[in-house]
Amino acid sequence: MRRDQMTPLERLAAYGAGAPVDRLPCVPIVGNTAARVIGVKVGDFRGNGALIAEAQVAAYRLFGYDIIRIFTDLYTQAEAMGAKVTYPEDETAFLAAPAIDDLGDIDRLRPADPYRDGYLPQHLEAMRRAVDQVGNEVAVTGAVTCPFTNASFLVGADKLVRLMMRAPEKVHHLCELSLQTNIAYAGAIIDAGCTPSLTDAMSSMSVISPRQFREFSFPYLERLIDYIHGRGTSVTLHICGKTAGIWEAMVEAGADCLSIDNDADLGEARLAVGDRVRLMGNVHPSEVMLQGIPDAVGRATLSCLAQAKDSPKGFIVASGCSLPTETPFANIHAMLDTVRAAGWPARTLPLP
Amino acid sequence: MSASERELFQRLSDAVVEMDEDEAVAVANEVVERGIDAYRAIEQGLSAGMERAGQLFDEEEYFIPELLMCSDAMYAGMDVLKPHLRSDEVAEKRKVVIGVVEGDTHDIGKNLVKIMLETSGFAVTDLGRDIPPGRFVETAKEIGADIIALSTLMTTTMEGMGAVVRQLSEEGIRDRFKVIVGGGPISQGFADRIGADGYAVNAADAIRLARSLVAPAEAAA
Repeated sequence: MRRDQMTPLERLAAYGAGAPVDRLPCVPIVGNTAARVIGVKVGDFRGNGALIAEAQVAAYRLFGYDIIRIFTDLYTQAEAMGAKVTYPEDETAFLAAPAIDDLGDIDRLRPADPYRDGYLPQHLEAMRRAVDQVGNEVAVTGAVTCPFTNASFLVGADKLVRLMMRAPEKVHHLCELSLQTNIAYAGAIIDAGCTPSLTDAMSSMSVISPRQFREFSFPYLERLIDYIHGRGTSVTLHICGKTAGIWEAMVEAGADCLSIDNDADLGEARLAVGDRVRLMGNVHPSEVMLQGIPDAVGRATLSCLAQAKDSPKGFIVASGCSLPTETPFANIHAMLDTVRAAGWPARTLPLP
Repeated sequence: MSASERELFQRLSDAVVEMDEDEAVAVANEVVERGIDAYRAIEQGLSAGMERAGQLFDEEEYFIPELLMCSDAMYAGMDVLKPHLRSDEVAEKRKVVIGVVEGDTHDIGKNLVKIMLETSGFAVTDLGRDIPPGRFVETAKEIGADIIALSTLMTTTMEGMGAVVRQLSEEGIRDRFKVIVGGGPISQGFADRIGADGYAVNAADAIRLARSLVAPAEAAA
């Protein structure tokens, strides 16, 4: 099997400058699978920045992908604002209860302080440690759950979407509070030597309409991205599920790279916005990466290459969303190996 | 059906599509005052409206916020009409137990399926979210369910669906219930692998699936 000739930082820098590279960048989005790499339980990550860093660095070294992302679940910031999160012993954390039960308590909510509240300090510690260990060869990002999605964790998704129709000013208030948390956290991430990586699951067209996205999500995303750009950092935006109707708006909000979910069409995205932003995606995380065999991963990876390898602003081969914890290592290796074998400029025919 | 009945049913349907709870309640009260059959008012008024809303959802005219608001109007009208149903109209529904599997609290998808199942004439017992496999099985036995419907949005909790099927088999009652599964990471392949009876990609599909699974028994009856 071919070996990498460049470090991820060298590769991304050269690729961004239009210079030759050894292969296309490739990012299977490894989250809690990192626990399996060092043989610890997912629940052990709770409040343990050193362990998260150790696992993420070990996963990077094992697979050799191009971006490390410090991420355990979507709820870190909402938890720091008062949401209740359940931590199973060995599975991904989930939201047990939103920050407020009664909308009368909405005025009690405050933006989180990333250096004090919830487990944000530990996640920042994980980022600093990862940068200390491998920051000279690979970019480390910190996951930020964007305003509209974070707002849904403050009052509950059902309540939030009803408020959009019944009391839109309350939704704006919740998004504004979430934005303040996001900006403070993104600033701390940049101060830790990392790049914020934006995730906005609820802003999907699988949930809200493009018009509602414009009204309730876009203004806050745009301000968040403006802040990050103001700090001299470019940024990737991931919105889950269906997104074709909001790609234009995602670009307009300022994202430098769109991470396309497996529920959206990568080839269409390339035609629609590939001339303005870099794209990444979109091998199916459960059907292919979790449940498939390495051959299926290889085929799915080649299919992504065929759809977007020539995208004018660049393409990063990636999974469509974060990988499930139990994704077989062989499948993650298969994605990287397929990209290595395709070389650069990438060949997309199956190789002997 | 008289012209005035038809007009009232149309207004109920419109109130649901237009997400107008107050109008749904007002028209439902009018139905009761005029002594019009509550069952038909639900079927041809409120449920018909919810089906139209479901179509608008399929066509991407409506999204989840609109659909939930439509269902609020439908249920508000139902609350007025239900006490006026004749007892012989209440009994015969097919029963579904639905819930989000253990370890997951994403329930918008489950709620939509529940709404659409109720709209389509199923009696639905909603266990809520973060439900261990055993509770699905116990409840299904308790109420004599026809269908067990399992939902999850997270890949981490998919395996809980397999546990429900296994428990049914272990207790020797697998053939008493149809098990259907759905949610973001679920696919037909996954449904086949765990031995579920069906997979639905969205709420509308779940209704078609549920209807087809109980249809043969109905034909035999």
